[in-house]
Amino acid sequence: MAEPQPTQAAGPLNVGRPGASGMTSARPEPANLADILERVLDKGIVIAGDIRVNLLDIELLTIKIRLLVVSVDKAQEMGIDWWRNDPTLSSRGRELAEENDDLRQRIEALESRSD
Amino acid sequence: MTCASGSRPWSRAVTDTGVYLYAIGRGMQPADLAGVEGVDGSLVRLVEVGDLCGVVSTVRLSDFGEEGLRRNLENLTWVDAVARAHNAVVEQCFVRGPVAPVSLATVCFDDDGVRARLQTWKEPVERVLQQVAGCCEMGVKVHGTPTAPVADPAQGAPGAGAGLAYLRRRQAESSQRQAASEAAVQVAAQVHAELAGQSVASRRHPPQDRRLAGRGDMILNGAYLVDHERRDSFERLVRRIGEERPDLQLEVTGPWPPYSFVSLDAT
Repeated sequence: MAEPQPTQAAGPLNVGRPGASGMTSARPEPANLADILERVLDKGIVIAGDIRVNLLDIELLTIKIRLLVVSVDKAQEMGIDWWRNDPTLSSRGRELAEENDDLRQRIEALESRSD
Repeated sequence: MTCASGSRPWSRAVTDTGVYLYAIGRGMQPADLAGVEGVDGSLVRLVEVGDLCGVVSTVRLSDFGEEGLRRNLENLTWVDAVARAHNAVVEQCFVRGPVAPVSLATVCFDDDGVRARLQTWKEPVERVLQQVAGCCEMGVKVHGTPTAPVADPAQGAPGAGAGLAYLRRRQAESSQRQAASEAAVQVAAQVHAELAGQSVASRRHPPQDRRLAGRGDMILNGAYLVDHERRDSFERLVRRIGEERPDLQLEVTGPWPPYSFVSLDAT
């Protein structure tokens, strides 16, 4: 399929001060993740399907993704990768937190028994 | 109702796939989407109810069921790929006619589930399709700190002690910051009004975070529904505003399918 796609989002087009807009004008790139996400997540027709996942329950999405302004690669290039290390953002982190709580309670129980 | 505990669990057991809905269009042909892949690798197809077409593809419930989605949506790499694939399908529909994008991760158990939704939402969807026909969505983001007039705090305080001068300076800095932020609000409203004047409809989205923008505060994050025919003049207008306001950086994205203009509950 080689038909022309006039409406393909060809990436941000910078107009404005030439010197101040070097970030995206130098290389054409696909639309950035934040621009796509704010549309596909927050906008569009909302119809309840059979599979119900409340996107608001998704921590990563609600807390962090909505903040993204550049692509993931760009963010990493800029040294921004908090989502990788933020323990509250991974299910492993939650497991650890639960395990931690559990262990604390057991220690408390043991300590109170030894009194 | 969940996939794990549906009202008819025995009928769920026979299938481990669901049907992912991307968009709803009108009078589409299967050939319009020939060869287009969906979020899960399988080909996109149409589910029709009268003139309305649901654009769908089959997905594995291991990834797109309730459990799978919950897990995957925490994975930024997965979200990135699926969001882009979703958008790519919607764009394929969009180049062929009016389309109402459906939000990410709308999954039914089967084609009948999609048909039922199309029946239910027939009228508002048709109304929306009518509104967006012939139009595209343009995004305009404005960054910058509009310059506000500044008073010199050191003046008008002759003979004041160093402590007082310091306090005055702090006070002036604070009111300067406030003036700058008021100026930003005003300028954003002006730019938005000017762009909205050249659009069929407009919306303001929350500004995106500055940490990742790496280019100062975003003061406007607007979406504009623009007639295809008038896209050039809209972009010229953006360029002109950029030239008139060297303190601002304007960034245009799009054309997008009309994501921001298909809300079913909007009056």
